Amino acid sequence: MRPFHCSAALLSRSDGSVRFKSGSSAVLCSVFGPIEVKIRDEKLDKATVEVVFKCASGQSTTTERLYERIVRETLEASILTALHPRTLIRITLQVLTDDGGILSTALNAAILALVDAGIPLRSLPAAVTCMMDREGVLFLDPTTVEVEGSQSSHVFVFDDAGEGTLANVSTGAFTMDEYTNCYDQCLSAAATLQSLFRSSIEGKVVREYGPI
Amino acid sequence: MTAAVATRAESSASIALQPSRPVIPGDRIQLALEQPTNAAAVTKVRVGPGLHQERGDLVAVKAGVLHQGPGNRWWIDGTQKRYVPAVGESVIGTIVAKVGEDFRVEIGSAHRATVNYMAFEGASRKNRPNLDVGSLVYCRVTVANKDMEPEVECMDASGRSAGFGELKGGFVLRCSLRMARSLLDPKNPILVRLAEVFSFETAVGLNGRVWVNAESPAQVIAASRAIQAADGAAATDVLKKVNSELRHYARGMEAS
Repeated sequence: MRPFHCSAALLSRSDGSVRFKSGSSAVLCSVFGPIEVKIRDEKLDKATVEVVFKCASGQSTTTERLYERIVRETLEASILTALHPRTLIRITLQVLTDDGGILSTALNAAILALVDAGIPLRSLPAAVTCMMDREGVLFLDPTTVEVEGSQSSHVFVFDDAGEGTLANVSTGAFTMDEYTNCYDQCLSAAATLQSLFRSSIEGKVVREYGPI
Repeated sequence: MTAAVATRAESSASIALQPSRPVIPGDRIQLALEQPTNAAAVTKVRVGPGLHQERGDLVAVKAGVLHQGPGNRWWIDGTQKRYVPAVGESVIGTIVAKVGEDFRVEIGSAHRATVNYMAFEGASRKNRPNLDVGSLVYCRVTVANKDMEPEVECMDASGRSAGFGELKGGFVLRCSLRMARSLLDPKNPILVRLAEVFSFETAVGLNGRVWVNAESPAQVIAASRAIQAADGAAATDVLKKVNSELRHYARGMEAS
């Protein structure tokens, strides 16, 4: 997997913000919530989650709308929306640079931004992308160049310690064995990511709180 | 039976409070509980902010430092900027509308709060509070739950003003909720350091708003900037940032 880097609390006006970089792919996520919601979007027993996904340059297309839906449905499962009925949680994702694996980079940015904003979460999920190329070689967290030669591509979002799969987006042609292989590789990569997230978040908590 | 009670009493004396530690969302909390001294009593656990009960477990839902207090109180001290109202908290609000017999108050939560015009000291049907849209008020949250719009009062429970009510002059600054909570302590190092240089008064709203008033605008600015600079800074850097703002203030005083 490519080395990742995240910086939090970058935007002064947002309730939470994170810039997540995986290799050369970088996404900035800003979270507002729980805030006022329009009556037509209001849910009586839950918070409404809204995702806006903006690509680095050019017009937003159906791909961005698809990513918005995937991010929204994944995070709705993770956020404790029942604690804040009739409110809105707005997640804005801005792609800064795109070098492959942008959906999982965006999901990781959104998850960490939600933690930064103090929005209640069931757990700390992690997203991983992998692809199989035409020779059957598995690439974890591929770059744009590597993605050119892909036969199938898979994005997995795993809950804490493999307790469940929150999301899976698989495209292309692949056998069941290839899929299982991708699943296993992504599961262990997600566990590594989660422990790195933990040390990063705990480091920030301790730095701000002071000696415990 | 007697032996069992004796053991429990001993164990409640010897269970030390768990040391505070950082947690992230999803962490299941292993509870080391103080047992009640009355053997027949049910052990109660008081769940505070940041923790959520999931069947028999306590799970952390926010990132922060987990604390255990006496009487089986558990809570998480985390960083957050957005205010979620809770009963009994003192907040600073801005009047945004008059609706019938209520004022609508903006306190920074998802929904605006309401304060009845009778919820001020000495208010009566003939003697309504003289507040306009845009007035600042220091008030106390009386109704706050996830399903209802919050309500506030500008007086304490017995009807006396007790410092609540309109705030005149001064300046309101925005800060994180943790900084606001820490400013409630009059021995807070930031407040102590500022008080060494000039006198000022503050009203701390737990909704992340702090009102500062002092004799000169330069002092108000120095105090606000000191608090804002210290907010979110590493704990070891707080005094450095406050001193840096005080140096600016001192230079400004020399120049004039």
